[in-house]
Amino acid sequence: MERPVAAQPEPPHRVGPVERLTSTDHKNVGILYCVTAFGFFLVGGALAGLMRVELTEPARQVVSTQAYNTLFTIHGTVMIFLFVAPFGIGLANYLIPLQIGAPDMAFPRLNLTSYWFFAGAGLLILLSGVASASGGAAMGWTAYTPLSELRYSPGVGLDLWILGIVLVAISNVMGGVNILTTVFLMRAPGMTMWRLPIFTWNMVVTAILGLVAFPPAVAAFALLFIDRRLGGHAFDPLGGGDPALYQHLFWFLGHPEVYILILPFFGIITEVIPVFSRKPLFGYLGIVLATIAIGALSMGVWAHHMFTTGVVNNPFFSAMSLLIAVPTGVKFFAWTGTMWRGKIHFTVPMLFALAFLLNFLIGGVTGVMLASAPIDFHMNDSYFVVAHFHYTIMGGSVFAIFAGIYFWFPKMTGVMLRERLGRVVAALLFVGFNLTFWPQFVLGLRGFPRRYVSYPADIGFDTPNLVSTIGYAVLFAGVVVFLADVAVSLWRRVPAGDDPWDANSLEWVTTSPPPEHNFDALPQIRSERPAFDLRHPELAP
Amino acid sequence: MRRAVRAVRVRRRAAPAALAFLGTACSGSFGMPRGATEQGADIFRLWQIFFVTAIPVAGVVYGLIFWSVFRYRRRRSEDPDALGSQFRGNHRLEVVYMGIPILIVIGLFAASAAVEVRVDRVSSDPAVVVNVEAYQWGWRFTYPGQGVTVVSPPSGEFVAGPQMVLPLGQTTRIVLTSNDVIHAFWVPDFLYKHDAIPGRTFAFDIAPTRTGTFYGECAEFCGLNHAYMTFSVRVVQPAEFAMWLEQLRAGQAAA
Repeated sequence: MERPVAAQPEPPHRVGPVERLTSTDHKNVGILYCVTAFGFFLVGGALAGLMRVELTEPARQVVSTQAYNTLFTIHGTVMIFLFVAPFGIGLANYLIPLQIGAPDMAFPRLNLTSYWFFAGAGLLILLSGVASASGGAAMGWTAYTPLSELRYSPGVGLDLWILGIVLVAISNVMGGVNILTTVFLMRAPGMTMWRLPIFTWNMVVTAILGLVAFPPAVAAFALLFIDRRLGGHAFDPLGGGDPALYQHLFWFLGHPEVYILILPFFGIITEVIPVFSRKPLFGYLGIVLATIAIGALSMGVWAHHMFTTGVVNNPFFSAMSLLIAVPTGVKFFAWTGTMWRGKIHFTVPMLFALAFLLNFLIGGVTGVMLASAPIDFHMNDSYFVVAHFHYTIMGGSVFAIFAGIYFWFPKMTGVMLRERLGRVVAALLFVGFNLTFWPQFVLGLRGFPRRYVSYPADIGFDTPNLVSTIGYAVLFAGVVVFLADVAVSLWRRVPAGDDPWDANSLEWVTTSPPPEHNFDALPQIRSERPAFDLRHPELAP
Repeated sequence: MRRAVRAVRVRRRAAPAALAFLGTACSGSFGMPRGATEQGADIFRLWQIFFVTAIPVAGVVYGLIFWSVFRYRRRRSEDPDALGSQFRGNHRLEVVYMGIPILIVIGLFAASAAVEVRVDRVSSDPAVVVNVEAYQWGWRFTYPGQGVTVVSPPSGEFVAGPQMVLPLGQTTRIVLTSNDVIHAFWVPDFLYKHDAIPGRTFAFDIAPTRTGTFYGECAEFCGLNHAYMTFSVRVVQPAEFAMWLEQLRAGQAAA
């Protein structure tokens, strides 16, 4: 058994700002993506805070109605397009070459370009909310026509928003091409597709979804722009256009996008649980096939957002949406099977992974309810839907992001995050999250619609709204402690070593942080756990 | 042996408890209004079916998670480098945990499709027709057979919106459209909403089963004063409905 030569720690190399912003090294681009995306998380979270403060009591108190409409428009856009999705791409940039044993991504300059498209798009979208005297974008992140036609939304903010979203879409397509090329062509010898770490597998499916879903959305946004500024009538009923067509094109992006927002994070959870259960993944093949099935089915469910429009075949889209529960269930059982007869270490990444399981199950179960068209006749556009998708995107993806940060921060920086502070963060976020969003299920059942700046008193909306705002305060505290944890850990450095977790995949056999070319030598790859096989040659297949 | 006896005893005690639980579960509303129309009552029953199915599913999954976390936690006394059991799966089990959800999903789909057929059914001979026109930011309710119209007062805050009055126990046809952007007509107590899309007209039936005044609102974001686009539906006895129509017609003729 040949031992790989551990990469020699390079002389300390401080990355200056110019190098940080221009280096095409995949690790640098990955960190840029993640840090920028996390910045957008803080912005989007602050916007959510303003909304929660406004909704604490029935009448309108804090912001104007126009401002409130801008708040939820920008909050949704930022969280979806500028935080969760790009964070996944950032991690993919950092991890995929390391996990497959490659020196870099296939197209390093395209990689940096896609980052700058994303950063520029982010700027445009933030500007779209504030920088226009004739009114910020205030049409909701879905920008339904005819409301988003010039006649009803004359502000230039909406045009900036369209440009921003189109840039995000282009950036996603560039990222997707890069990920697919890298995984298909640059795997190290022995790293077959059936030995790929699950995170990389999930990014492959995510990238394909992006390539299929974003181009039609760009077409929709281009047509919308033509309607607004060049006299088109694609979506304008007064000119013979069809508002329902816009919804089809939008949700043909919008629903695969939901899986773009979750698959990378399923990937994180699937990496974290085996490591801290000290076991191989339960049913590797099943989990990969489930991911592919989710990707395929997600292309056929878009019109479950349109059950109440009366223009789609509800039973077909009901059936497809219900079916997605099956491969998702396979994942749950695989995660549980992985913990079964393990030796579970309750590190901070594992705590976040467990919180993910608890939250996401509620998101999944309520998703099954919403997949039934008649039930959706009541729930559609209510806070029940708001609660449901926050249980998947926040309770799911964001908790997985925190698991991923605590898991890979040592690899990226060479230093550990504080374990004790991390536990406090996990507890605060878990309690705060459930306190914020559980009452919103109740609100939705009682009939509170989304996107209402205020509500009448005494019809059952007061108490859940108050509790929800208190929950936000707890979440806020959790994020503050997290930022303190990062600051303390970078200030008083506890070196991580190559592999602080006894982990499985290839990134853990090189130094933390890895040298520019990633590996001086690669171990022999016999399974999806090359780092484990190296530590336990007696158990290697 | 003793363990088996205890297990039987536990099972004997658990069975009635489980039945009692299922009984309450099946009559529970789980936070949902019970539906003040025939169609709403159908949707309410469907919601009960979905919720009651969700309870054991979530229970099993949570139970397995908590059991594994508790039972297979690494104990302080154990070697920190100890490995868990290194098995990689179990094909038979994988088939089972894929098969059972497929069966559940098929059942749920059948229930859902059956209810949708009933909810979508429109009568050939409704007792009342109300044309509902949504606009930024209000409603116009017209009773075309009776030549009566009710319109929103203009507002940017909560005021009592226009009121639609319907007779109890009779089928009302709602004919819904919009003359500007997309709105949605939602009466939470009826568990039903439908989008109002400019350039299209939709018709659906409701048959109120309870008298009372029900709060209604626009559910599809429609611009600045979306939150204030409320209305109400008052369901009354047919005789009272006829009187209301008569009064309104007289008032509108005089004006």
